[in-house]
Amino acid sequence: MLEQERVLAVSPLARAAGVQVGMRRGGVLMLLPEARLVERDAALEAEALHAVAMALLQYTPLVAQAEESTLLLDIGASLRLFGGIHALCRQVRADLRTLGFSGALSCAPTARGAWLLARNNGKHGHGRVLKMASLVRRLDRLPVALAPPARPFGAWFEGLGCFSLGDMRRLPRPGLQRRCGRPLLDMLDAAYGMTAELFQWLEAPTAFHAKLELFDRVEHADALLYASQRLLLQLTGWLCARQLAVLRITFYLEHERGKVARAPTLLDIALAEATWRDEHLVRLLKERLGKLELEAPVIGLALEALQVQPMAPPSASLFPEPGGSEEDCIRMFELLVARLGPDNVLQAVPYPDYRPDLANIWVPLHQTVRASVRDARMPGDAHSSPRPEWLLAQPIALLMRDHRPFYGSPLKMASNAERIEAGWWNQMQTRDYFIAQGQDHALYWVYRERILGAHLDRDPRWYLHGLFA
Amino acid sequence: MIVPHPHPTPESLHPSLWRASQLAHSSARCVDTGHPTLSSQLPGGGWPTGTLIDLLLQQTGIGELRLLRPALAAAASRRIVLLQPPHAPQALALAALGLPPSQLVWIRSTRSADTLWAAEQVLRSGSCGALLLWQNHARSESLRRLHLAAQCGETLFFMFRPLSSAQDASPAPLRLSLRPAAGGVNVGFVKRRGPQRDTPLFLPLNHSLLQRHAPLDRPLSVPATARGLLPELVQ
Repeated sequence: MLEQERVLAVSPLARAAGVQVGMRRGGVLMLLPEARLVERDAALEAEALHAVAMALLQYTPLVAQAEESTLLLDIGASLRLFGGIHALCRQVRADLRTLGFSGALSCAPTARGAWLLARNNGKHGHGRVLKMASLVRRLDRLPVALAPPARPFGAWFEGLGCFSLGDMRRLPRPGLQRRCGRPLLDMLDAAYGMTAELFQWLEAPTAFHAKLELFDRVEHADALLYASQRLLLQLTGWLCARQLAVLRITFYLEHERGKVARAPTLLDIALAEATWRDEHLVRLLKERLGKLELEAPVIGLALEALQVQPMAPPSASLFPEPGGSEEDCIRMFELLVARLGPDNVLQAVPYPDYRPDLANIWVPLHQTVRASVRDARMPGDAHSSPRPEWLLAQPIALLMRDHRPFYGSPLKMASNAERIEAGWWNQMQTRDYFIAQGQDHALYWVYRERILGAHLDRDPRWYLHGLFA
Repeated sequence: MIVPHPHPTPESLHPSLWRASQLAHSSARCVDTGHPTLSSQLPGGGWPTGTLIDLLLQQTGIGELRLLRPALAAAASRRIVLLQPPHAPQALALAALGLPPSQLVWIRSTRSADTLWAAEQVLRSGSCGALLLWQNHARSESLRRLHLAAQCGETLFFMFRPLSSAQDASPAPLRLSLRPAAGGVNVGFVKRRGPQRDTPLFLPLNHSLLQRHAPLDRPLSVPATARGLLPELVQ
C-alpha cells in the first residue's frame, strides 16, 4: 500500500522479501518485481469503517468514529445482554472476521484509554482493562508517540528523557501546555478519566443500502454466500439500531460490463415473518444461491432492505410450547420453499365445484388464505359423498373383459352410483362414479362416461380416477 | 437350609428390558391408534412419537390413511405434512377423515435428495404434528439419519414404502406390513419390540365408505284436494 509514493503498509509476504515501511516505489519493485502496489484510497477506507460501524450497531446504539480509523463503542449497557465482556469481545472479533477485516480490540473504563490501548495493541497482547487503577498502570507504560498531539514534539520529549505517558504526566502542566498546546493535556486528562469526553455518536441512516465490491470475478453462485454474509451483518446492525425488522430484502448481483451492459441479477427474498437476526436470512440465502445459475461473472454485490416494520417484542409466554412456536413452523416452511420452490410447498384451498379434479385446488403455502374463505368453500358435510384420498392426475381408461372394467383384476362395483354432471360452461363432465373393488379387496374410484358420442352401440367406457388410501 | 431366591423379572431391573414373550414398555410418548385390537399389539399401546415407523404397503390405496385416521386427527392441532405422496391428495377426502384442509401441507420434490432433506428439516424443527413420507427406495444410512432426526422432536413420523423392502434392514423400531383384505386391511408385524407374531391382524376399515344407505326416492304425501275448488266448499 502506497501513500505519496512511500510504502505505508506491507503484507507479510512482502515483508519477508525485504520490503519495509517508508520505501519508495522503485525500491519495492527492485526487491519484488511482482509486487502488487495499491494506492491508498481514503474514500474506500471511510466506506469500510462505516460498514464495520453499521455491523457493530447491533451491540450498542452508541458507536462513534474516532481518529486514525478507530471506532469507539460504549458497551456499558450491553454487557448483561451479550453475556459479559469476554463473550461480547468474542462476538465483535468474530463479526470483524466475517466482514473480512482485521482489527485491534481493547476495552477500558475511559474511551480515550481504550483508544490508546487499541493503537498500541498490535504489539502487546490483549488490551482488556476493567479497573481504573490497572488502566493507569497500563497507560503509564505506553510510549509518548502514541498520542497524536505529542508526535510533532517527539524529538523534544526524547531529549528530556520522557519516553512514556507516565513520564509525561510527571512534567509540570503549565509548561507542557505552553510548549505542546492544550490538546495534549486534554487527551491525557480524558485517558486518565479526569475530564468527561463528548462524542458525536453515529446515526443509522433512514434507509439501508450496502454495497460490496468483490475481489475477484465470481462465477459460481455458492461462492457469493460469504460475501453476502458481510452485507447481512451490516443489515443486522442497522435493524437493531433502528429497532426494525425486515420483511423483504433484495440482493443485486452486479455483472462485469463487457461489450454489452448487463443489468444486475436480482435476488428477492420475501419473508412471511419479519426478522432482525441474520441466521435465518443466511440459511434462506444459502438455499436460494444454491439454485441460482449465474449468466455472467459477478463483480459486485448490493443489498437493499425494501420492506421493514417495527420490531415486535418477544413473546412473553412463560413456558415454551412443545415443538416450537408458530414462527418456527413458518421459518421452517420458508426454508423448504427456498430450496424446493414455491410451487412445490402447497396448501389446500378446495374450490366449490362438483367436478372432483376442479374441486381439488392446492395453492402455494405463502399465499395467505383467510380461514373464513376456506370454510365457505367447504361442503357442509364432508362425509356426504365418498371421495378418494388419492386423485389421479389423468383418469386411466380401463380395459374391458367380460363386460366388466379390468384393472389388475376384474372390478366389482361396491357402491351405488354417484352422478356428477356439471361444467356445461367449460368442461362438460357427465359421469357416474362408483366405488369398485378388485379381487385383492383394494378399493378404486371409477367412473363411467354417460355420453358416449356418435356411436351409440359402443360399450360404455370406464375410467379409474382415484384410490382410497 | 437354602431358600431358593426368586429371580427378579427383567422388566423390574431396567425399563428397556423385556422378555421375548412380552411387549416392551415404550419410552416415547404414544398416540392411540384408535383401533383397540391394534393398540394392544403395539409396545406402549399406540403409535410411538419421535421415531421412524415403517409402513410397508402392498400397493398404494389400500386403506393406509384410513388406518392412521384416529392418530392423524389427534395430531391435526398442528400441521400435517404430506411429503412426496404417490398421487395428488384430495383435501375433501382428507377433511372427511378429520384432517382440516388448513392444517395440510403437500410438499412435492423432483429429486430424492431434496425429499429426504425436506423430511429432515420438518423433523428437526419439530413444529409439525405429523409427517407422512412416501419413498420407494431409501438407503439404510438415510433411514438411520431420518430416525435420528425424528428423535429430536415429538413429530409422528410414518414412512410408506413398498412391501418388497421388508427384507431390507431398517433402524425403525416398528415396522408393519399392510395388505388389503375383504372389508379392511391385514396388518402384519414385520418388526416390533415384543414377541414375534406371524398371523396378520385384521382391522375393519371400509364400513364408513361402503355401508352407506342411499336415500330412497319417496313420493311426497300431499293431501289430495279437489282441483279448482276451495276445500271448505267441498262437503
